Amino acid sequence: MSGWLVIGLMWAVTYPARLLGLSLGRLNLPPFWLAFLRFVPVSVFAALVVPDVLGSPEWARRIVGALAGGLLMWRSRNLALGILGGFAAYWAARLAGL
Amino acid sequence: MTASAPFWPAFWPPFWRGFRALLPLWPGMVPFAVAYAVTARAGGLSVWETQLMSATVFAGASQFAAAGQFVGGGLPTVAGALGLVATTFLLNARHVLYGLSLSRTLPLPWGQRLVAAQFLTDEAYGVTVVAGPRDPGGLSVAFLLGAELSLYAVWNASTLLGALAGAVLPDPQALGVGVIFPLAFLGLLVPLLVDRVTLLVALVSGVGAWLLGRALPGGLVILLAGVGGAALGAWITTRRAGSRA
Repeated sequence: MSGWLVIGLMWAVTYPARLLGLSLGRLNLPPFWLAFLRFVPVSVFAALVVPDVLGSPEWARRIVGALAGGLLMWRSRNLALGILGGFAAYWAARLAGL
Repeated sequence: MTASAPFWPAFWPPFWRGFRALLPLWPGMVPFAVAYAVTARAGGLSVWETQLMSATVFAGASQFAAAGQFVGGGLPTVAGALGLVATTFLLNARHVLYGLSLSRTLPLPWGQRLVAAQFLTDEAYGVTVVAGPRDPGGLSVAFLLGAELSLYAVWNASTLLGALAGAVLPDPQALGVGVIFPLAFLGLLVPLLVDRVTLLVALVSGVGAWLLGRALPGGLVILLAGVGGAALGAWITTRRAGSRA
């Protein structure tokens, strides 16, 4: 099957998913589903972070980086500072042979 | 922004603030896109096809899955291609959640929705939903588009770089930049952990995703853990509100 066609089909199943959610904002939802949507960022971010740290072959260093970055972000509320600090801690752990 | 306010004069300042808000994620993005492009080229896709996938599909995990399939033996058979499309659908179904979540606080007219949908990603959603409301103009379509196109620009530029020069580039993964993604999402998560329920939801969906990830592909894991965690949070809070009433 041609590469262009495969790519076109991949697009055809990805774009509608993105559009569908954006189009449902005016739905009248019961309280449970309103609360559900408020919790989506928390659960999605956690689901993105934890497997990427614990499931990585270099998980030990990544835990050090994540702890340092998480602490910095908790104290400073600064995303860039947290990423830089976490990355530095990750490298410190790596150089220390962890 | 109200419907009657002029749209264009107010557009660019929040657009560039959204664009800049994604800059901390760029160093993690470049090697990811370069690696995708190198894999796709090695699997037999042309430079144009490699670039076309980044320009249209624009979804890291499913592009990687697809590139791996091509490597499996040149262009896939019809059955292989349909499996690939089904995988892409499952991996990207989580975007329904992002759109739903965004559209509650940022209702968009049709035209803007059609554009914003093309560029929606985990990262743009994450930064917009956290930093958008803190923007001077509040959460706006301009901020969202700035965040979205920031990633689109770096993703496509890095795809081109990898497709053209992949073989002669040093391996950026050796620098450990892969750790930037979990750090970025951790930075978005930390300010949201305000009470015991949010902590519990984060713990359950995080550990749940880790366990599910041993058996299932990543995008599907995010969708299942995301739905499960949010349902748990909603169940706890609405049950509590119900018993108080």
